[in-house]
Amino acid sequence: MPIQSVWMIRLSLIWLLIASGLGALLFIHKTIPLHPSIWSLLPLHYEIAIWGWIVQFVLGTAYWIFPRFLEGEPRGSKFWADSIGWIFNIGLIISLTSYLFFGINYLPLIGRGLILMSLFIFIFLIWSRVVSYRNNELKT
Amino acid sequence: MPKTVRLFIKAGILYFLTGSLLAFISQIPSINTGALLLPVYWHMIVVGWITQIIMGVSLWMFPRSANQKRRTTDKFTIQCSFWLLNTGLILRFLSEPFIPLFPADHIVKWTVLISSILQISAILLYVIEIWPRVRGKISKN
Repeated sequence: MPIQSVWMIRLSLIWLLIASGLGALLFIHKTIPLHPSIWSLLPLHYEIAIWGWIVQFVLGTAYWIFPRFLEGEPRGSKFWADSIGWIFNIGLIISLTSYLFFGINYLPLIGRGLILMSLFIFIFLIWSRVVSYRNNELKT
Repeated sequence: MPKTVRLFIKAGILYFLTGSLLAFISQIPSINTGALLLPVYWHMIVVGWITQIIMGVSLWMFPRSANQKRRTTDKFTIQCSFWLLNTGLILRFLSEPFIPLFPADHIVKWTVLISSILQISAILLYVIEIWPRVRGKISKN
């Protein structure tokens, strides 16, 4: 497993634990009120579950498991592959922070923009790996 | 494919079907479930289906730890994770729609509390199991 996938999958597991913890807190709060501000954690719960856990796990696994190039770097540029995890997680953290600090209007835009940028880089890297090498014949 | 992995995947497929059925029922004008079943539907899809399929497939496909020789063996932690998660989810789906209807009911409160603990424990066991298997290629030299 390439180091980029190791980091993305491990970070997604950490996000899974955080999303589950928040989910349990919100669920318990429905019957046993804990604090009035608990409900403000709801958007964080589903943002973390969808983006931090599911999407990041899928990106990390796809980068690892898709067919590799037969010549040169097996999975393309390592620099761009490293940047996916960094940009994605910084974008996610900025997005999550925007739910806690409503006053800063440009935070959601930056957060979403960074996530989008990391997805573009991922697609740029993975597109040419969606191939088949069956019978030594390249099929795109 | 180990038995518990098959259970994870089959349970995931069943939740996908049940979640989709719930989405269909909620659109029938005479049966207006309103907001009562909305969190049930979302958790059936995101936890019951997507998360459970990811858990099953990763436990099957990810590199095994050095002391686990065969792909077909089931570890106790994985079995616990499956049963805790699914018991927790079923308790959740049975209790959550009744929270607004019986807010002070002790049975509902305890069911919610137990369900939360079961789900968290299941996720924790899964992470403990899969974490050492998320690793780079070990050199044979």
